[in-house]
Parts: sequence; structure tokens; C-alpha cells
Amino acid sequence: TIGNMDFYYSPGSSGCRTVLMTAKALGVELNKKYLNTREGEQLKPEFVKLNPQHTIPTLVDNGFSIWESRAIAIYLVEKYGKDDSLFPKDPKKQAVVNQRLQFDMGTLYDSFANYYYPLFRTGQPGTPEDFKKIETAVGFLNTFLEGQDYVAGDHLTVADIAILATISTFEAVDFDLSKYPNVDRWYKSAQKVTPGWDENVEGVQRLKDMVNAKKAEHKKN
Amino acid sequence: VMDFYYHPGSSGCRTVLMTAKALGVELNKKFVNLREREHLKPEFVKINPQHTIPTIVDNGFALWETRAIVIYLVEKYGKDDSLYPKDPQKQALVNQRLYFDMGTLYDAFSRYYYPIRDGKDASPEHFKNIENVFELLNTFLEGQDYFAGDHLTLADIAILSSVSTFEAVEFDISKYPNVVRWYKMAQEVTPGWDENLAGLESYRRGVAERKAQLNKN
Repeated sequence: TIGNMDFYYSPGSSGCRTVLMTAKALGVELNKKYLNTREGEQLKPEFVKLNPQHTIPTLVDNGFSIWESRAIAIYLVEKYGKDDSLFPKDPKKQAVVNQRLQFDMGTLYDSFANYYYPLFRTGQPGTPEDFKKIETAVGFLNTFLEGQDYVAGDHLTVADIAILATISTFEAVDFDLSKYPNVDRWYKSAQKVTPGWDENVEGVQRLKDMVNAKKAEHKKN
Repeated sequence: VMDFYYHPGSSGCRTVLMTAKALGVELNKKFVNLREREHLKPEFVKINPQHTIPTIVDNGFALWETRAIVIYLVEKYGKDDSLYPKDPQKQALVNQRLYFDMGTLYDAFSRYYYPIRDGKDASPEHFKNIENVFELLNTFLEGQDYFAGDHLTLADIAILSSVSTFEAVEFDISKYPNVVRWYKMAQEVTPGWDENLAGLESYRRGVAERKAQLNKN
């Protein structure tokens, strides 16, 4: 049974949206606790006690504190999933999901952050080389999706959900997906089948508003 | 027997080597000379379109990403689940440490040391980041012998590979007493430590060679 599941988050954060959509897919209700990371709310002692790394998303399930979005998503499926479809138990199938999740963190989202985080902070993006790395990463994703409806296997898994959160974040900065036909196709259809997509859209819009505000601020200076 | 495409210096490859040793899994080692761009050869790209190492091929099943590989090895070949517990909470903790290893610990290493390796200036900001990360490692180990629970898991093996890489470039870990304690112990209990050491030698040589090359140009 599900007791108290506190979820520390910010709606713009890609990792938080991964967890929100996964919880929706599992029918798990989260007690949402918004942390304004731009005001440093994650540095409050009560939160650091729960997570010494003071990052979001963080989930506290009846006193058990866990962070890292992909670890949280896997935990939710294993603990509360009615079946293993979102995170297959079969070692080979699971390995592909894990590889895609690690690609999402270490290559795909990483390339996005390297180029766009400076934009969020200062109004100026990263270098052209950094942008090329995004194109390379999305190119790999395009290859993974060759002849595939989902990123890992033949049905929706947490890999799709995590990468959906990431790719939708690219929309906040108007990244052009049309050059990557498999990704474009998958992105359009994944939106329709992933629970919680509406909430993800809201979060991305919040991020987009913040980016545009930063750009305007930079133009003034 | 499992084909293992690797470079001995690579931190991720050393994580796989130690895990395989711990499980008694035999690897058919295939050295990939990155400097000669062997990872970009069509035969390898066919196996792994992302052309990264480590990559394993287990009876036709190709898999890459260090932490996906080691989890797969434990689940498929482990006599028990001790290196990667099946219990969702215990496993979640191991998973968090593994994502920390990739996204925060090794990330801190590459951000500071890769530019230096490529002849660029050292960044004090990125060095401070390393120190913050090691503070966290120290905190994770407060009152704990291992990184995730009360016995050796994949979290320890992966972090051991990363921390030893910091040591190889002479980062001083002495300010982090829990990490020092754990590091001494982990070396003794982790199978394949010798192989990790040999790989670090190879890494150090590679760094020195690159430095010499840069000084020539």
C-alpha cells in the first residue's frame, strides 16, 4: 500500500517530469512539494537532511529518501508496478532500457545542458562545438529508433518516458527535430501514449517562459 | 565467452573488468585503440552505433554503457544478488550511487582534467566542484563501510574505478577521511583490483604521451 510519498520537485526540471509521468503511468499519487531552486530552497537544512546532495527530484517514500530521476522511476515501477512492462525483469530487455537511460543522462541531456544552461544563466549559449554535440546525440537517438516504435523494445518503458522528458525540453529552446525523422515520428506518437503528458507540457512551458525572460533581460543589458 | 571491446585506461572499462572478475565471468578482451580511431571502424559501429567503449557482445547480444553492462552481468551470471540487490529499496540506493558516479563524480573528473589533458588552462571553478563532490562521497560514507548498504555492491566497484582514476592524476583525497578509509578497504576486497591498477598505469602513460605531444607542437 502507498502511504506518504513526498515528491520534492520543480515543474520545469526534466528529471522531475520523468518521475511525474512515471508515477502517472503507475497510478501512484505523489504529495508534491515545490522547491524554488532559483531561490536556493533546496539548500534549506530540512531538505539537505533528506538529501545531502540537495538535488531535485527527490522522493521520500514513507521515510525512505531516494534521488536521481532514473533511479526513482525504476524504484516506482519495481515497487508499485502491476507488472514489469515499464521496466522489464528479463536481463537483456532490462539492459537495453538501462543503456537508453544512461544514454539519456550521460549523452543526450548532457549535451543539452552544456549548450543551453549557459543560455539560462547568462542569456548566451555554449559554443558551436557544444551545439554539434547535441546534433550528434540526437543523431544517435535517431539511429536507435530505426525501425522501432519505442526506444527500448516493442512497448513503452521508462526509457521512453525519460527521453520524452528530455526531448520535450528541447522544445523550450525551439530545437529543430525535423532533421531526425525517427525521433520526430517517435516524439509525436509518444506524447499520445504517455500518461501525464499534459503536466509535462505545463512544465516545459514554465521553462520556456524562464528562458524568454532571461533572453529579454540579456538584450536589455 | 563474451567479447569485450575495451581500452585498459578507460574508467568504465575497468568497472566492467572488476565486476566480471567478481562474478567469475570470462571476457574475450578486444583492445580498441582509440587514438588510432579503431572505434570508428565500420565493423565496430555495426555492433554499437554509438561506437563507445566499454561494449560487450554476449552471444550476439551487443550492449554498451558501463553501468548497464555491469547490472546485466550480475543479473545474468551472478550466483546471488549481493552485488545488485533485488529488493527495490536496496537496489534504488545502488542505482542512485551509480547515476551519481556517472553524472556527478566522473563528470567532475572530465570537466576539470580533460581540458588540461588537451593543453588548456586549469579551471579553479571546476576544481572546487571536484572538492564539493568528494565532500559528498565522504558524507555518503558517514558511518558506512560501503557506498550502498552493508556489503560490496556495483556502487563500490564503479566508484572505486572513478576514485582510483582521480588518484592516478594525483588528486589528494586525504581531506576526506571516510573516503580514505573506504578506498583502502575496497582495494583489498574488490576482485580484479590488480587489473584496475594495470589499467591506471596505461592511463597515466596515455596522459604523459599526450602532454609530450602537446609540448612538441
